[in-house]
Amino acid sequence: MILPIIIIVGLVLYAVGVYNFLATAKTRIGASIQEIGNQLKRQSELIPNLEDSAKGYLKHETNIIKLLADARKSVDSAIASGDLNKMATAGEKVAGLLPKIQVVMESNPQIKGAEVITRLMDELRDTSDKVMYARRTLIDLTADYNVRLVTFPSNIVANLLNFKSEKGLETASSGEHLTVSGSDMKTPRVSI
Amino acid sequence: MLNVYESVDANIRKSWLVIAGFVVFVAISIYFLAGALGYFYGYQFSGLSLAGFAMLISGITGFASYYYSDQIILSISNARQVEKRSFFQFYTVTENLCMVARIPMPRLYVIEDTAMNAFATGRDPRHAVICATTGLLANLNRTELEGVIGHELSHVSNYDTRLMSLVTVLLGLITLLADWLLRASFFGRSGSDRDNDRGSFGPVLLIAGLLLALLSPIIAQLIQLAISRRREFLADANSVKFTRQPGGLISALKKIALDKEPLEAANKATAHLYISNPLKNHQDSIGWFAGLFNTHPPVEDRIKILQQMA
Repeated sequence: MILPIIIIVGLVLYAVGVYNFLATAKTRIGASIQEIGNQLKRQSELIPNLEDSAKGYLKHETNIIKLLADARKSVDSAIASGDLNKMATAGEKVAGLLPKIQVVMESNPQIKGAEVITRLMDELRDTSDKVMYARRTLIDLTADYNVRLVTFPSNIVANLLNFKSEKGLETASSGEHLTVSGSDMKTPRVSI
Repeated sequence: MLNVYESVDANIRKSWLVIAGFVVFVAISIYFLAGALGYFYGYQFSGLSLAGFAMLISGITGFASYYYSDQIILSISNARQVEKRSFFQFYTVTENLCMVARIPMPRLYVIEDTAMNAFATGRDPRHAVICATTGLLANLNRTELEGVIGHELSHVSNYDTRLMSLVTVLLGLITLLADWLLRASFFGRSGSDRDNDRGSFGPVLLIAGLLLALLSPIIAQLIQLAISRRREFLADANSVKFTRQPGGLISALKKIALDKEPLEAANKATAHLYISNPLKNHQDSIGWFAGLFNTHPPVEDRIKILQQMA
């Protein structure tokens, strides 16, 4: 008398456990899809801002370098022409530049170009990592959920309660990403 | 050849086997140790009540070191908390891996030391702490750092601090009981009910108890170390499951193995927490036997297994 009751209670508890797992997993799959959107939005807001600020910095430095190059050119051409007058005006030009360069350098004591670019690249790698990991979360959650749907004995409960398998990250099951063409086998070249 | 999923599953299975073996061994030891103690002190003041007393002592100290694990270890190790601005890679790598490990972001600390190492602690994922040395952060690139952080986050999400604390409590229990039994055997029997021994079973209990009193603390410690090594393999496998880049962890482990500098902030009590043995006291010449006493599996074995996942 007591044994059948224990068995029935055990089965019901198991079914409740499976149901709760599947329901939780389904909700989390939905949340992880939102998370991908969230990360993509972050990326689309972040990258233009970073680009602008990096460009701003670099422009600042290009200005300094351009001023210096101009001064050097005029001195060089004056020396080449051998005209004392021209040399004097070139000298004045350089002297006139110095305060400008000083102002630029004082507001910007180090040349930061390399640092700015490194920072930009770090952020770029991080943001694409974040999107990638958001997608992986969706893939992992979907795999955990779908495994329960097809393995024994949880598949019985899942079928009874009419749970359907989740698609996860939708990927075309045929196409170029499953074949390797001749051009794929060449080592990629980077041109800068 | 195991792929990542199989490797994680196999490690979880083996890990449970070792833990079950440990529990069975502890139970048998307690039975005989308590029985033998009963022989000395009489069954009214029975061995089992002494076992309960030992459990209490070991449990309280063990619980305290478990509950405050993060604070205790951080204060011994001289670590300071970091923010995103100063350790960009460390912070963002942890942030990203937490997303895929589905745990809250742990607090991050660094130790100023040129030795390369990292550890995780804290009683549960909400109170987790990840700590790395500045040497590690300076010498690893982002992919390698992902491997190391993935390994540490696996310790966090698998509740390894909790597991190792429980194991340590049981080990302490056995050690206490064995110690009491050996002391009792010096002073001889004092029980009031000498006459109602359990027939001829008394001497058997006594001999088995005394034998276990000598051996069980060592055996239990060896099993504890086996659990610790198994959890390291599991953490490696999980790290690859998160990052899918075994190459990163392999090259990080190679770099860490080449670094011969011991970490000053580490000691025997905290050694099992680190990604590789921080004491650098490997005795490779003795081989297999020395391997039994290591908290970490040999780096070559870890790399070999990771290469199979690649």
